[in-house]
Amino acid sequence: MRMKHAHCAFPLLLACAAAATPEAGCVQVPADGQQPELATHVQDWRDEVIYQLIVDRFSDGDVNNDFNVEPGSLGQYQGGDWQGVEDHLDYLQALGVTTLWISPIVQNVDSDADIDAYHGYWQQDLTQVNPHFGDLAALRSMVAHAHDRGMKVVLDIVCNHMGQVFFYDINRNGRPDDYVNGSGNPDDPVLQVSEYDPPWQAGGVLSFSQEGQSGRAPILFFDDPSINRLPPQPGILATAAAYHGFGHIENFDDVEQRTLGDFTGGLKDLATELPEVRATLVDSFAKWVEKVDFDGYRIDTIKHVESDFWPVFAGNTRTRLAAEGKNDFLMFGEAFDGNDQLIGSYTMPGSLDSVFYFSQAFIVYQNVFENAHDPASAQGTDQIENLWNLKQTDFGTTPQDNGIGIPPYKALVNFIDNHDVPRFLFNSNGDVAALRNALTLLFTEDGIPDLYYGTEQEFSGGNDPANREVLWTTGMPTTGDTFAHIANLAGIRRAYVALRRGDTKVVWSSPHVGQEDDAGIFAFERAGGDAGANAYALVVLNTNGFKTSSTSNGGSVLQTSAPPGTTFVDVLDPAQATYASDGSANLQVNVPAQKAMILVPQGQVVQGS
Amino acid sequence: MRNLLLCGAAALILLTLSVPALADEPPAPPPPAPLAPAPVAPMVPPAAPTAMPATASPATPAPMAPSTPAPVAPSTPIALPPIPGDTGHFEFGSYGRVVTASDLQGGTGRDANVIAHGDRIDEDSYAELELRREDRFTPSITTKVVWTLGFFPPFFHFSGDQAQAIAIRNLYAQASYDDLTLWVGSRMYRGDDIYLLDWWPLDNQNTVGGGVGYRFRWRSDETDVAAHVGMQRLDSTYQYEQIPAPIPNFLAGQTGPGAENVTTLDRPRTIETLKLTHLFKHPNDQLKDGFKVVVYGEAQEISAGVYTDTTVNPNVQYGLPADTGWLAGTEVAYWTGQRDTFVQLFFRHAEGIAAYDPLAVPLTFANDRTTRGSKETLLALGANYELGAFGLLVGGYLRSFRDGDPSPTTSQKYDEGILAVRPQIFVGQHWGVALEGAFEARRFAMLDPNTDQPLVASEWRGGVMPYFSPSGRGSYKRPQLRIIYAVTARNDATREQLYPAADVFSQRSVSHFLGLGAEWWFNSSSYP
Repeated sequence: MRMKHAHCAFPLLLACAAAATPEAGCVQVPADGQQPELATHVQDWRDEVIYQLIVDRFSDGDVNNDFNVEPGSLGQYQGGDWQGVEDHLDYLQALGVTTLWISPIVQNVDSDADIDAYHGYWQQDLTQVNPHFGDLAALRSMVAHAHDRGMKVVLDIVCNHMGQVFFYDINRNGRPDDYVNGSGNPDDPVLQVSEYDPPWQAGGVLSFSQEGQSGRAPILFFDDPSINRLPPQPGILATAAAYHGFGHIENFDDVEQRTLGDFTGGLKDLATELPEVRATLVDSFAKWVEKVDFDGYRIDTIKHVESDFWPVFAGNTRTRLAAEGKNDFLMFGEAFDGNDQLIGSYTMPGSLDSVFYFSQAFIVYQNVFENAHDPASAQGTDQIENLWNLKQTDFGTTPQDNGIGIPPYKALVNFIDNHDVPRFLFNSNGDVAALRNALTLLFTEDGIPDLYYGTEQEFSGGNDPANREVLWTTGMPTTGDTFAHIANLAGIRRAYVALRRGDTKVVWSSPHVGQEDDAGIFAFERAGGDAGANAYALVVLNTNGFKTSSTSNGGSVLQTSAPPGTTFVDVLDPAQATYASDGSANLQVNVPAQKAMILVPQGQVVQGS
Repeated sequence: MRNLLLCGAAALILLTLSVPALADEPPAPPPPAPLAPAPVAPMVPPAAPTAMPATASPATPAPMAPSTPAPVAPSTPIALPPIPGDTGHFEFGSYGRVVTASDLQGGTGRDANVIAHGDRIDEDSYAELELRREDRFTPSITTKVVWTLGFFPPFFHFSGDQAQAIAIRNLYAQASYDDLTLWVGSRMYRGDDIYLLDWWPLDNQNTVGGGVGYRFRWRSDETDVAAHVGMQRLDSTYQYEQIPAPIPNFLAGQTGPGAENVTTLDRPRTIETLKLTHLFKHPNDQLKDGFKVVVYGEAQEISAGVYTDTTVNPNVQYGLPADTGWLAGTEVAYWTGQRDTFVQLFFRHAEGIAAYDPLAVPLTFANDRTTRGSKETLLALGANYELGAFGLLVGGYLRSFRDGDPSPTTSQKYDEGILAVRPQIFVGQHWGVALEGAFEARRFAMLDPNTDQPLVASEWRGGVMPYFSPSGRGSYKRPQLRIIYAVTARNDATREQLYPAADVFSQRSVSHFLGLGAEWWFNSSSYP
């Protein structure tokens, strides 16, 4: 009898066990990590506030991908990842950010000369994600969660070069030599040359022996799995034919070197004129959009690629993505140059939608704002007007076919600083007032504001890598004054369509930087245009670091386009002070040093903005 | 995968429900392997403790010179003259298997499993040599002292390498006072296994510690209560680390400046176990069938420490917080008493650090570098059925493992399972042919880049194994001398995602294993 009971216990126990294992058979990839359906998530890119973040530095959401991190050594991996970004979307939304520009996602040569590829620009395999930042599902999840909040995500890509994936076998010994003596140039017999990164040689890097030169140096790919220095992928990128092989650029003003030479750090220049290479780049990056549902490309080092590449790349990308339901796909490029005409050449018809407004970063944010406390080098606000007057000519007024639908001159990506230049507070010796004033211009001027991560926490790093600080060690507070200032500006921009889509008219600028009444005053209207006929805002800034200045000088007074007698409310002022223009629509206001006003006609004020 | 799991569960249920029919078979001794021994030492005459030094001889590793291959000589200590008043004696036991195989493509045959506990037909060699001293000092007091050496492949005749990997698997003393048993030492301390999977699914402790057990007797039934506490500190930077540090000035004054290694991380894992085993024995001794229920639990703790990643930067330290875990499980087993026919069913659930095998360290963590959130749940089955010239061994399990990584997609979140069957035909009393069929799979919470679906690594295995069994007919008769052939067919996900491209398993959908093998066990504490 007892044994019969024992027999019955078997199936009973089995049933209990099965009921107690709810997770058995349930392992899944979350829906957010699966293939997304492509969609257009943006209405007008000028409505966006871009936040540039270096994934490795933003937030460490998963310690398990912290391979080889070296906390505190900014030239090495720090541990940030896509999970960390997803975990802090609240932080970004509180700041007013609507678009994330994340650093490159693809697999890199992990380390080179004891410096890590934490930034992502040393690409090795365009088909794989960088495991330091998570897996494809984590990337998708982050983007999906951003989309759920109405945020967009821009992917950073590089078409110009790969990482240091091969060496020039100058002495044909089959191995990479740190140095070989002599460049092969009979006139320069004792120069020491690194086979990893030899200098520019017109016609290509040459091999040589004691007997003299012996033709083009063979290009030999590395095979070092320990740092993922492996032959590049995909396809043709693993062949020597895909590279120019001219050595590194020595003269960046030489167009031939600039477009054919290896980039700084031995980054190997792709032969982007080859149709096969072009097709590979279009396909490789478009696949990431298809896999992840990105909303745009930020494109690295565009001035190092021949100009006729970009219409092919941009056109084919737009056509492919539009066919899959992805429209208004923003492509903006980085031409690190203060030459307005040069950077504008990449937005000519058929090419990119936009570029970084580097000339403005140098001429306006550096020369005018950063130097506010240095009368010897500070420049007048007429520099701003002069530069802006060139926009239509230099950047073009025709939206790209199948592009974002906005003329390039109205879609420039404005920025104060980024990962390639010292931070504003470094150059300005910690002048936080100047930074906040510059931020006011950034969020009110025509174009798309782009904020470099850490600005909200008043980071002040110098040149790379000091300007790539770790953000999460700050605790990421949202209570700081600069954080609040940015959040306020973003809110104001969001509330007033004139500040996003209105046309721009400069109504006051000044060459004065001293004690003159209008020293440092810059005023511009955002009105009409795509914002609608009645939309209006007037922005008045005082860039002077020492004194209150006025919108008048001598007998001249700022004249607005608003109807005479309009009462303006300063929506940047917590007290919302009011000012009225006179019967001639003149408006005289006094602006304290390094302060600004955003004046909106009283009837258009949006409460709670 | 869901279908696979459902099929596996259905198979387990069917097999389980089939068990009662076996009760009609004629009585036979209980099976040797699946049932844990009573924690009482064998009854042997008492021996004087002065005999102990003699055990040094058999514990000495065998000479490594090729001309002197003779290993341990167990007869040596036993041949010593008996000590007056001591009726103790030495015992020698062993478990071992030696396998040599080809992959039929010019290489060595190789284990191809893709799950934690795959079937064993293609497993590698391993051997244990055990020496025991057993004594009875009074009618109630007995002791045994156990030394077991484990030998890991490759062996010298294969590799030509004289250095042999040897581990001390047992080194403990056990003493019993009537039904009370105490032991202290380094010990494999475990219950029942599933032979086909070479796995102890409920309890398998490998610690240095001690335990106590007591047997309660209830008419025909028995209840064993056993508790144990042990420690282990693996040679891993998860638990132990030494870093070079400047020597004190006091010493530097004599030796000059220099460095010495200092232990900066030392955090053993402490494991406490409690096991209750109740044996339902049939009141009628003529019927040898029996039923066993085991309830088992563990608690585990590890203290906090600091880890220095010397490979990256010796100035950077990471805190490793204190951690805990627990495990609870049960086993039911029924044996017919006829030949070696039995069935066992295991279930267990573990959380925290207890979800990780005690001889392994966690690979991934929660963001606070604890194992918080780690879970393991498993359901396992082992069975053997013998009738006439037919035998059938079965092993299988379903297992769910989740690590504490906050990411929902990691290689350490998976479900896995296997069903392995080994039917065999006994030819006469000493020969047999075993066939083997198995399907195993692991489904990861990670994307398969080819399908954009969860990655499922799976493989089918078939095999045939004719053998000679000198000790008689039966699945558990040993030694066995075998010819082994197995073929494994792996799916694309296994090939492409689990092995580097340079690995032949990445290049071959089908791999072969043809070789010779021998397996034995006798008089071993670990394999009774």
